[in-house]
Amino acid sequence: MTTINLSQPLDTATRPDNYLTHTRGFMSWAFTLDHKRIGVMYMVSVLISFFVGGVFALLVRTELLTPGQTIPGVTADVYNHFFTLHGAIMVFLVIIPSIPAALGNFIMPIMLGAKDVAFPRLNLFSYYLWLFGALFTVSSLLLGGFDTGWTFYTPYSTTTPAGGVIPALTGVFILGFSSIFTGLNFIVTVHKLRPPGMTWFRMPLFLWAIYATAIIQVLATPVLGITLLLLIVERAFNIGIFDPSMGGDPVLYQHFFWFYSHPAVYIMILPAMGIISELISVHAHRHIFGYKFIALSSIAIAIFSFLVWGHHMFTSGQSPLLNTLFSLISFSVAIPSAVKVFNWMSTLYKGNIVLNTPMLYALSFLVLFTIGGLTGIHLATLNTDVHLHDTYFVVAHFHYVMMGSALIGMIGGLHHWWPKMTGRMYNENLGRIACIIVFIGFNVTFFTQFFLGSQGMPRRYYDYLPEYQIYHVISTIGSYIMASGFLLTAYYLLASLFGGRIAPANPWGGRSLEWQCASPPPFDNFATQPRVGDCYDFTAIRWDEKEQGYVTDPALDSTKNSQFAAKNLH
Amino acid sequence: MNIATTIFSNLLAGDTREGRTLWLPPQDSNLAVNSDLMFWWINVVCYFFFIGIVIALVILVVKYRMKKDRPFRTDGPLHHLPLETTWAVVPLFIVIFIFYFGFRDYLNFMTPPKNSYEIAVTAQKWGWLFKYPNGATSDDLYVPTGRPVKLSMRSSDVLHSCYIPDFRVKKDLVPGRYSYLWFQTDDVTPEGSGHNLFCSEYCGTGHSNMNRKVYALAQPEFDAWLTAQSQWLDKIPEEELYFRAGPKLYARCMQCHSLDGTKGIGPSWKNLWARVSGAEDGKFVDGTSYQSQIGAGKQYQTPEDYIRASILNPGEHVVAGYANAMPSFKGQLNDKGIDAIIGFLKHMDEFDTKGKYLKETAPSPKVSMK
Repeated sequence: MTTINLSQPLDTATRPDNYLTHTRGFMSWAFTLDHKRIGVMYMVSVLISFFVGGVFALLVRTELLTPGQTIPGVTADVYNHFFTLHGAIMVFLVIIPSIPAALGNFIMPIMLGAKDVAFPRLNLFSYYLWLFGALFTVSSLLLGGFDTGWTFYTPYSTTTPAGGVIPALTGVFILGFSSIFTGLNFIVTVHKLRPPGMTWFRMPLFLWAIYATAIIQVLATPVLGITLLLLIVERAFNIGIFDPSMGGDPVLYQHFFWFYSHPAVYIMILPAMGIISELISVHAHRHIFGYKFIALSSIAIAIFSFLVWGHHMFTSGQSPLLNTLFSLISFSVAIPSAVKVFNWMSTLYKGNIVLNTPMLYALSFLVLFTIGGLTGIHLATLNTDVHLHDTYFVVAHFHYVMMGSALIGMIGGLHHWWPKMTGRMYNENLGRIACIIVFIGFNVTFFTQFFLGSQGMPRRYYDYLPEYQIYHVISTIGSYIMASGFLLTAYYLLASLFGGRIAPANPWGGRSLEWQCASPPPFDNFATQPRVGDCYDFTAIRWDEKEQGYVTDPALDSTKNSQFAAKNLH
Repeated sequence: MNIATTIFSNLLAGDTREGRTLWLPPQDSNLAVNSDLMFWWINVVCYFFFIGIVIALVILVVKYRMKKDRPFRTDGPLHHLPLETTWAVVPLFIVIFIFYFGFRDYLNFMTPPKNSYEIAVTAQKWGWLFKYPNGATSDDLYVPTGRPVKLSMRSSDVLHSCYIPDFRVKKDLVPGRYSYLWFQTDDVTPEGSGHNLFCSEYCGTGHSNMNRKVYALAQPEFDAWLTAQSQWLDKIPEEELYFRAGPKLYARCMQCHSLDGTKGIGPSWKNLWARVSGAEDGKFVDGTSYQSQIGAGKQYQTPEDYIRASILNPGEHVVAGYANAMPSFKGQLNDKGIDAIIGFLKHMDEFDTKGKYLKETAPSPKVSMK
């Protein structure tokens, strides 16, 4: 049950008990304390939110096909609700929980060699907080919606007549708690539940990334909670905190907001970086290059992330001194990011690369993250940012990072661990095609927006001058291409659940612990304490025809390989 | 690159202004020069790393594809300290250079010269008011060429941001604070064109319609324009006020108030005079009606009193069905301007739904608006 049993071919009839079949019925899911089921519930919820957020994105892009009104009935006010909902849903309901709460919940304890997270009940509570937060946010639609942008800048957010602002703020406030509890849970899990032999520097890099993320979640999210609470107090009871007509300061709100929301960008991107480390190493069947630099750069990014929030405010009236300091510190983030990219590329060197779907997503990530990162230089530089701030250049830049990197990383991870989560293989060819369609669509949509922005088109515009139309048309066409790629992905993933090939325990040849238990994993992950080795040492891994997957062959044990023996597994 | 530039500049339909490049709009201020140079240098760095990384990726993926039926090669290095240190330190130096030059030029952005020509800017939902030292006001921005111009800006409601792409300048307007922005442009804006001025900080319904033009005039033309602009209202005789000044002032109101009965952000002006003078009735949000507020012995003795109060203190009585969205025009409209608006409302039937006067008018001493 714990390790691969070569004598027992895997088929549906003889499939051993697993977390999906262990107990049955709605209640067994609704009150489950199993991190894998909670992870699956998160994943389903996040993907539904992604669909809803995506529909709003397509509505926004379609409306922008022509200057003025394009879709009948979509006035400026309706459009403002659309882009606000798109942003709020994608940030708070999709990207922030997608990797830590959904994939992380499922994979993290297994990777670590633990039976569950440290606080399983808190974990379930986090999920229900997420659900209530999501319901609050979406219920604001019925109460008049909100048109503040996902940033809720004052004094607009405290004076707009839209009726749904307070429910939306409450929803995001609750979502924040969900995020804090997940982070807390993961920090304790990594510290306390590592089995013997799982030292800090033997942890898979995904766990380092999740750990760094959890620190940000716990330290930064409370600030967002307090800020939103102050905003609610101001809007509901006219207590002047941010509104200058009541003695407040709107720039103070921006400081508070970005003190969370800049680290939040790293809550989104760090776990994706962790996934990429896994994908590239496993699908290149090659030991990760520069493990310690990648691991420590995650921690460095987590620390830097708290010191750069002011680069969102270069034109806000913040003092020139602060602008200078924030510009300087913002550049420092380039260092750990560059280290990661170059180390990932070096991992491909002398590797055994298989271009399957997860690897294609990892390569997409490398290209898109490079563009997203490099265009960050234009925005961190003081004089060029004055021109580019609040234009489509910024929109393109953060979509390259938040969607092209964080979400593409998540989808790559979803493909990587899909056989583990569901016990089924998806159609590999369709997977590759969909990945390429998404990659092309993404670049057509968002690369165009760099030109749009540098030519001067401000963001959040319902109407625009005719000179910008050609870029908008190209961008909208790109968004349709991208949407068709995602629909294809949804199709073959769903189809795999019903007709997909039964997944072997180790379909890709991974060495970390999750590939040592069956697919899907048994209810308690490991019956006995798993043996922990170097999770990036692939010397003992070989393809097995009978298993139709990879197995660990003791005959190829890494200790016999001089290179690994000499380095003594780090 | 030239071909790409040509294609993309041609793609910009309806805009054939010279100086537009693949990445940037025409360069029309002193500050734009260094900012663009910086932009290009950063682009060079980006092209270099991006192309390098993509080529390296392609070579790596092609060269190290998995070979069928062969054991994994395991001879790749696990780490390489000098190499890893190199690619941590080299980008560090590059970005420090970029930071330094960006910072040095940014100091220029932040330091308006002492001899700047100062224009006061007020933004409100959803328009701009530019006020010149001699008291003249305008909706579009007129600036003299060849000398630094400093905008001293404030917002009377929410956040706005003044953005002139051709000048590469941008600054937020924060309610409760003053902020500065300066530039110098040396080229007179050609006849029939103007530089775009956008609001780039989201401010609600009319955010995308807060775009205006900037016209740069040579000093003599600018002075002439300024003098005419400060007197245009005074020069109009009282009896011609409503059809000469009315439609022009209405241009600032049309974002929210229609003339054809369509419900906008504010009530339509169609039949407004009939409503306030008692022929029809309407309600305020507090439940009171026009007739209980307007008339002898009531809060507003005359309909004119009510209109005047609505312009100067619009939040006092909000019409039922509308939000309290209108900013005060106190200090922006003098008594003659208010008279013009009231006259315009009284004679609504003499205008079309765009505010165009339908009757024949004698040629007026019209002030050139360029």
